[in-house]
Amino acid sequence: MKIFWLATLIFCIVWYATMTLYVGIKGLFDIFSMLNSIRNSEQNSKIS
Amino acid sequence: MGNFSLLDAGIVGIYLLLTIVAGLAVRKYVGKVEHYIVAGREMNLYLGVASLAATEFGIVTCMYTAQNGLKMGFAGAVPGILQTVAMLVVGITGFCIKPLRDAGVMTIPELFENKFGSNVRWLSGVVIVLGGLLNMGVFLRTGGEFLLITMGYNPAEFATTYRLEIIMSILLLIVAMYTVLGGMLSVLVTDFLQFIVMSISMLLVTILILIKVGWGNIISAVETHLGPKGFNPFLMERGWEFVAFNLCLQFAVVLTWQAVIQRILSAKSTRVGKLIYVHTSFFFTARFIIPGLWGMAALATLLPEQIGENSLYAMPRFLSTFLPSGLMGILIAGMLAADMSTDSAYMLTWGGVIYNDILAPIRKKHQWSEKKGVLINRTIVALIGLFLLFYGLWYPLKGNLWDYLGVTGTIYLSSMSVLLIACCYWKHANNWGAMGSIIAGAVFPIGFLILQQLPQTAEWAQQVGPYKSGLASYAGSALAMIIGSLLKIALIKDKASTTKGPKI
Repeated sequence: MKIFWLATLIFCIVWYATMTLYVGIKGLFDIFSMLNSIRNSEQNSKIS
Repeated sequence: MGNFSLLDAGIVGIYLLLTIVAGLAVRKYVGKVEHYIVAGREMNLYLGVASLAATEFGIVTCMYTAQNGLKMGFAGAVPGILQTVAMLVVGITGFCIKPLRDAGVMTIPELFENKFGSNVRWLSGVVIVLGGLLNMGVFLRTGGEFLLITMGYNPAEFATTYRLEIIMSILLLIVAMYTVLGGMLSVLVTDFLQFIVMSISMLLVTILILIKVGWGNIISAVETHLGPKGFNPFLMERGWEFVAFNLCLQFAVVLTWQAVIQRILSAKSTRVGKLIYVHTSFFFTARFIIPGLWGMAALATLLPEQIGENSLYAMPRFLSTFLPSGLMGILIAGMLAADMSTDSAYMLTWGGVIYNDILAPIRKKHQWSEKKGVLINRTIVALIGLFLLFYGLWYPLKGNLWDYLGVTGTIYLSSMSVLLIACCYWKHANNWGAMGSIIAGAVFPIGFLILQQLPQTAEWAQQVGPYKSGLASYAGSALAMIIGSLLKIALIKDKASTTKGPKI
């Protein structure tokens, strides 16, 4: 069981660090894309 | 005082300033109720992952998972592993969340209206909000205790000074300010920032613990204090019940905890929603095992008299002297981030259910405009903030905290998960079954607590234990759904055959 918990912990730290980096970069693009979409849909609804 | 210095205060100050600026900057994009509650359904995968992870990790989570580590060792991380399994299964198969997202609803009770009628929608909304708000009522005080103990203050001072109340009131005011104005858009943007700060601090502290305390010392502390049951949950007293109850609980959380589901409902598409679950799934193991390790490190390094009577305070006590200046500031900022993201998302979530479901009969009658809808949503979120301030912080909570959390959580989760599954996959499910399910889901946990308090039945309740009563709540709720639904069908058939009316 000790090896299982050590492996889980190591995997956890590596996965979490990778995910933080990945989400940190890609999530920023998601924010801009979300705000752009909302702005565009608002402008379109005002025009129509 | 611990190791908290001016440098740390500066780091915390910069973080708070950035959060306020980011949270307020997006308020101008809120034009409709849909923007306010579900971010116009424009949330993409990585923002969704950041938001779900940040929302589901607050200081209260950190405190209890660390306490699990201290009292149960590695076995205390099992609920996290079970939640990962539940999230993976639901994310890959789309079980319940696919029909829920495809329906285009903003809350779970809204989906129930089509199948069970408006009364069940309203009652579900009430149960969800009651369970959610009462749960959330304890977040602020626990968060404040963690922050102050880590900064080096003595818990004995909390009763005589108002330091905790003042700090947490200011924090709540900041959170309420951007949540009220920007709704889900502000929550998502600040969640993203908070996820980054929180993750960096958690990883740095964990690595430092592994280097300085050492894996070997942690393992031997668990072996000495807990023995083999510290590694294997099935060796604990009532181990099977603990695992079975947590399996039910974690599936119910993944399917119906409104704060989690709101990420699915805000997602760009059903596919993105499912992917958010799959990508975030392992975070739920991390959220148990990482603070659990901090708790075990406290067990390895603190003397029994330093741990004291309240094991909840052991982990922050350990961190207050263990972390060097600089890293202390990063941790405090990270934990503030964790707490703020949870508070803001939960305030918005329960506010959304109040507006969308509890006020549904009034909304239908008066046909509110989008502008008025946003204003009412903002008012509701502000009122929830006030509730939290007075109930959770200034009002002294009586009784056992765990029992309190257990009752409020199970009342809601057992019946709502049964209703959701039946609504999506059982064509015979109807409002009789739904009403029965809501009542049965509440009866078992409340009944258990009452029996526990009565001197005549306290011993029997002790023998039954909290896990069996929790499991009975899920089984009773499911049974009530089946019996209630079939009973209605049978009675209508019977009535139809005696009056020779139309067949159903």
